[in-house]
Amino acid sequence: MDKSIFKNNKINEELFFYESESGLKVYLMPKSGYMKKYAVFATQYGSNDNKFIPIGEKEAIEVPEGIAHFLEHKLFEEPDENIFDKFSEFGASVNAYTNFNQTAYLFSCTDNFYENLELLIKFVQNPYFTDENVEKEKGIIAQEIKMYEDNPGWKVFFNCLTGMYHNHPVKTDIAGTVESIRKIDKEILYTCYNTFYHPKNMVLFLVGDISFEEVVKVVDSSEKKDIKLDVEEITRIYPEEPKEIKEKYIEEKLVTSIPIFIIGFKDDELGLEGKELVKREIVTNILLEMLFGKSSKFYQELYSEGLIDASFGGQYVGHKNYGHSIVAGQSYKPEVVLERINTYLEEIRNEGLNEEDFERIKNKDIGSNIMGFNSVEFIANNFINYFFLDFLFLDYLDVYDSISFEDALNRFNKHYRKDNYTLSVIKPV
Amino acid sequence: MAISNERLNIGNGINLNLIKTDKFKSNLVSLYMEMPLNRDMVTQNALIPLVLKRGTNKYNTTLEVERKLEELYGGQLSLNINKKGERHVLRFTIESPKGFYVDDEEYFYEVISFLKEIVYNPYVDDGGFKKEYVDQEKENLKRMIEGKINDKRSYAMTRCIEEMCKNEKYSIYEYGYVKDLDFIDNKNLYEHYKSILENSPIEIFYIGNYDNKMIDHIKNTFKIDRENITKIPREKITDAVQTKNMVYEDMQINQGKLVIGYRTGIPYEDNLYKALLVSSEILGGGPNSKLFRTVREKESLAYYINSKIYKYKSIMIIDAGIDFDKFEKTLEITRNQIDELKEGIFTDDDIEIAKKAIVTSLKSVTDSNYLISEFFLSQVLSNDNRSVDEMIEDILNVNREDIIEVANKINVDTIYFLKNENL
Repeated sequence: MDKSIFKNNKINEELFFYESESGLKVYLMPKSGYMKKYAVFATQYGSNDNKFIPIGEKEAIEVPEGIAHFLEHKLFEEPDENIFDKFSEFGASVNAYTNFNQTAYLFSCTDNFYENLELLIKFVQNPYFTDENVEKEKGIIAQEIKMYEDNPGWKVFFNCLTGMYHNHPVKTDIAGTVESIRKIDKEILYTCYNTFYHPKNMVLFLVGDISFEEVVKVVDSSEKKDIKLDVEEITRIYPEEPKEIKEKYIEEKLVTSIPIFIIGFKDDELGLEGKELVKREIVTNILLEMLFGKSSKFYQELYSEGLIDASFGGQYVGHKNYGHSIVAGQSYKPEVVLERINTYLEEIRNEGLNEEDFERIKNKDIGSNIMGFNSVEFIANNFINYFFLDFLFLDYLDVYDSISFEDALNRFNKHYRKDNYTLSVIKPV
Repeated sequence: MAISNERLNIGNGINLNLIKTDKFKSNLVSLYMEMPLNRDMVTQNALIPLVLKRGTNKYNTTLEVERKLEELYGGQLSLNINKKGERHVLRFTIESPKGFYVDDEEYFYEVISFLKEIVYNPYVDDGGFKKEYVDQEKENLKRMIEGKINDKRSYAMTRCIEEMCKNEKYSIYEYGYVKDLDFIDNKNLYEHYKSILENSPIEIFYIGNYDNKMIDHIKNTFKIDRENITKIPREKITDAVQTKNMVYEDMQINQGKLVIGYRTGIPYEDNLYKALLVSSEILGGGPNSKLFRTVREKESLAYYINSKIYKYKSIMIIDAGIDFDKFEKTLEITRNQIDELKEGIFTDDDIEIAKKAIVTSLKSVTDSNYLISEFFLSQVLSNDNRSVDEMIEDILNVNREDIIEVANKINVDTIYFLKNENL
């Protein structure tokens, strides 16, 4: 059995690690004095994994959009008990989420942690799909999809993705559509489950005032025993994605008081993993803050002119096979904002960036991340996200040591170009 | 973990609440000013935090304010205004990493002084706030008020409360009204802020590490001499249904939003109030609740359905997102579930589960410095001296009879439905 402890003195935190017999990796970050105990059991399987070779087969299949999310809903179903009731009886609140790259099941509680942990492991490892319970879920998920259809912030984001990407599945809505989920049945759910919910494709992360010894005992006694151990790596198939964006401009009308916009810059420096990927993400986010943050002259100028408001800002998201910066806000004149951004970027191409800004933002970022470690939810969600990028979140702040102003300059020139952005706008009806 | 609050009076109507804890990697200070929620003041109040954030006497521009915060190791400053019952509460919060993590043990004194700049030394120009800032923020506030429709769920809830409480102050929108903006200028707004500073009860919370020197620094920084402190009256509450109406509104949306407002008439001071919390939890608290199990799990009508008690007004709101043609059906199921609650048709397990959910959320308060300050503020506003542990004890003591008794006091007042006439 593989056990170890990682330490980070900078943030004064530790991380316990253990790999179970089935190959499940378990991590615990102790937080003494915290009442809340938090556990996340996650699989590296999200809405992007829509084409793959099912376990034990040779041919790739393509599954209906929204299936990872549908599966997330259905795992809560058990043959003879209501899983929500069981958690509730132990005073825990249980939840789950699906995003582009992962599905996570989580609970938080203050008491009965180990009982809840056992429940979590057991329900995630015990699928129970019937024709009837699959049909029933379609109505509920249809309502979830409709709720998002009325959300201008969500729509403007997905429209931007469909503008940037030709083929990559990141452009499709995580929950799918009311039409696509109709095609889902229990057989296809089992196929997805069997492929992606193998312990080797999963991680269990725990944070709170928790005993590691107890955790090991619970995992050993609760995890499924009849699991085939010598499984092959999952083959996921992603379509060829051109470097160019698909469309420069996308517009839709919805009920909103003011037009909202997102400018998405498509990344074409792909293929990074682990620390290098994280480093690129941090550099790009520092850049976005230098360029468009509240302490930039550009922000203040546009704000004073009434072109943007406090909702304006940027963020970069990077994965192994896709990445993009988004700059978002609301404005009566989104086209003018874009024009100003273009002029501004051109100025910077000619005049360069300011190193003082870089240092200030970098320090601010470090401070914000230190404060993030106050929150068990922040720690857990980040841990899971970075784990699947082959990086331990414990060491996140150390990456800052390796980042220089030159990195920011290089990145600026490669990423913020004239030919790789899409403007998505939602206008009032 | 027990958290205790040491409350010191540091000036007329100014209290400093100290909560010592090693748990967090940051120190947090929140300063709250309480004002009455009045129709004629609401828009001016709402404009204040927006204008104050623009600049101070020392840091004239937002650029300087933001850069100073970055120098304070990413200090996070937030200012906002909220409706808490029929109070309008202005909040100033600053949080930054503890000295240990940034290798700078003394800088938090500077953070305190910076907060003081924001609160007490706004940028004043020619006897008023800077005109340019006020004009710009009037426009931003206008957008915020108009932006009420952007989040359909919260819009529907706000609208239901507006209709239900239309003869009460509680119906006032916390960000104010566009038509008031024409009458606000940099001078009268500054005068208004001076009167807030002069008369509002102020509660300051410090959560983190401190010693006597730090306490003295905070005391000296925030104490001011004042004479008349506003007494804010307790909200009137009623169990009598006020409007008994059905309100429909049309919007071009894909999902209908049903919101039902109920009167309970049980004030938070009443011994039965804790049973009201439990009964709302049984009805529509979590995934185990009666409404979730029927409306969502059994009938597949909704993705979300919830029930919540509004403490200061003793009203209960149930809300759900449903298809337009499922209005009658959802309403009927909701009615039946409340009737069942009144008749005692719920299990002992339901009671235990509801209690545990409330207890867990009370305990979790101590894991967030911000929630700790909000919790103690709420205790101050409701003159409640109970600790978290005592509140937990009270919840655990609720019994079946209490729940049935309060359920029978729940009366529907207003049914609001946001729909799409074309679908």
